Amino acid sequence: MAKPIVRLSFVQAGVLGALALLVLRAGQVQIVEGRRHAAEAAAQRTEHVVLEARRGTLSDRHGTALALTQETYHVGIAPNELRDPRTDAAVIARRLRLAPRDLDRALRRRYAWFSGPYTALDVEPLRSVRGVHLEPVLRRFYPSAQFARAVIGRVGDDGLGASGLERLLDSLLAGTPGSAVVLKDRAGREYESPARVIAQPIPGHDIVLTLDAELQEIAQRALDDALERMDAEGGDVVMLDPVTGEVLAVASRHRDGSARPSAFTETFEPGSLAKIFAAAALLEHGRVKATERVSGEGGTYRMRGRPTPLTDEHPLPSLTLADAIRVSSNIALAKFAARLEPSEQYETLRAFGVGTPTGIEFPAEAQGKLRLPSEWTGPSSTSLAIGYELSVTPVQLAAAYGAIANDGVLLQPTLIREIRDPSGAVRYRHRPEPVRRAVTSDVAARLRDLLRGVVEAGGTGERAALANFQLAAKTGTARRVVDGRYAPGQYTASFAALFPADDPQLVVVMKIDNPQKGSYFAAQTAAPVTRSMLEQALAARTVALDRARLSNVAPTAERAPLEEPDGLVPYVMSVPPPPASDSDRVQPKRAVPDVTGRPLREAALTLHRRGFRVVVKGWGVVHHSWPAAGADAKAGTTVTLFAEPRH
Amino acid sequence: MSLLAALWAVIARQTASLNAARALTDLRAERAGLEGRRDELERRIRTAGSRAVLLPRAEKLGLRLPADTEIILVPAPPPPLN
Repeated sequence: MAKPIVRLSFVQAGVLGALALLVLRAGQVQIVEGRRHAAEAAAQRTEHVVLEARRGTLSDRHGTALALTQETYHVGIAPNELRDPRTDAAVIARRLRLAPRDLDRALRRRYAWFSGPYTALDVEPLRSVRGVHLEPVLRRFYPSAQFARAVIGRVGDDGLGASGLERLLDSLLAGTPGSAVVLKDRAGREYESPARVIAQPIPGHDIVLTLDAELQEIAQRALDDALERMDAEGGDVVMLDPVTGEVLAVASRHRDGSARPSAFTETFEPGSLAKIFAAAALLEHGRVKATERVSGEGGTYRMRGRPTPLTDEHPLPSLTLADAIRVSSNIALAKFAARLEPSEQYETLRAFGVGTPTGIEFPAEAQGKLRLPSEWTGPSSTSLAIGYELSVTPVQLAAAYGAIANDGVLLQPTLIREIRDPSGAVRYRHRPEPVRRAVTSDVAARLRDLLRGVVEAGGTGERAALANFQLAAKTGTARRVVDGRYAPGQYTASFAALFPADDPQLVVVMKIDNPQKGSYFAAQTAAPVTRSMLEQALAARTVALDRARLSNVAPTAERAPLEEPDGLVPYVMSVPPPPASDSDRVQPKRAVPDVTGRPLREAALTLHRRGFRVVVKGWGVVHHSWPAAGADAKAGTTVTLFAEPRH
Repeated sequence: MSLLAALWAVIARQTASLNAARALTDLRAERAGLEGRRDELERRIRTAGSRAVLLPRAEKLGLRLPADTEIILVPAPPPPLN
């Protein structure tokens, strides 16, 4: 047996060896593999979470929110944590709108999960219930679900824009998600601790659309009523500001209930609405004089190379170009258009944007159809003059008619008025974007005169006429193409109007597909509906119409001779009213004009021009006034008009 | 002694930050609740003020939309000349 000293040496060597191994292992763990272990430890007790960015708001031109992002919640329940399971379950079932039986079944599991999402109002009383865990999630919210639905579009389940403007503007609206690190326990549950934010989420841009909520509602409602009353398959309405190119309202409806944005994506043959473009080409190239007449051919005219004769519903013996537009004569337009070279006709149509996308910010905008002259057949020139062999979208038509209203300059229509960054700073503001000059200013004025005739007595758009404001408009009734063929007995009724005819503020295009009840002619279908929409727009307070400009436009009724003002005091009221002065007291007396039987507006205008203030009682036409007609009164005296409904 | 003081400082700081985090969470929840309430009220106002709701009620009361002859736009005075 070895000596004790030797054994001790062995023990010492063993202990030292073990210590050395320990040091080496410690070195390996802490120095060589230190980073890996640190990362594993961090991964076990922390978690990276994505902080969702708030999606930008879409609002109308007046700031009314159309699409916004709300914080909503998924709800998780740990049944074993509930203090009073029976009472708590009743509260939970009520707030989450669950059947008690379904909730009971869910609470038998270890952890019940309800994805909802539930609004902050729904879950408010659950915040204080122990065992209820709320997980916030941002959700897109549309305050008026049916409001311009096809245009605004929707956000998909992945939070990205799926259709309409939500899709097109996704990169602007989405924002940039942030990230943070949170602490968690061994079981993976998050500690209630402040998250360490690595990057703050950046909210998306807010976008102000050009749409006017009130006009949009007027358009949608008018379209719904019209489709129901006429038992039509569908229709579209577009309202556009011709001076800026801003789309104020766009509505599309279909009997099958689909929310297709057909005003942008579906084309149709415009029929007589395109006659004004043939007239534009004739005037631009000086191929017709105002007094020149062609024969109406008794309403039936066979053209060489055309298999079917041209017909007119209400033929005139002879027609000028103005007559041809007023009564929408196919025969006269075809005869006039025969004077045009194909290239001239093509270039004018092209100049008005036919066959090219307008460039409006909308996904999958259709470009329509306009064939090159080299592809035309014999009757093509005639067909194009009366609105066949070409196709357009309602938005293209609105832009083209907008060019006539805008002194011949075609503008790019737009749906976006303003883009603001998260701090509220304006990053983009729409300015009118001219595409090209379609016709000269002089020709545009003459085209407006031609369109004015359509709404006068004897014109096809007579039923759209307003009593106090002049319209310039055109009707169109065209055979309808279904699956590439003309469907027998099916028509598209359409109407385009510039309101008012002088200094237009609004272009309205209405299209009704296959009206089946009553007449299918645009004169009886789309024209009166357009009139109704314009009356509603006039009566609405917040609609984007410049009433100061409207009030200075000569109204139709005023075309009848009125008593001339004496020129002393053009208007008594100024805004704000000036303080009384000595000059007021020395105003000469004058006779109160007789306005009995006159419409209120006309009477008010007459009295204002005479220097009186006006108060109106009742509505309709003026029955009498106080002071009475003929009585002497000072300028500035208030004259009360008593009106009664027109009998 | 200094070790105890350091420990106390760390614990106090963490407690304060936890309280702040809890208050922040509560405020966020309250803000979300108020925003939700505002959105819901706006939606109800919009619905109640819509033509779909107002027009039938107005018609029941014997009211109707005015024709354009009944809308009086009084011309604005010309701007003063400087």
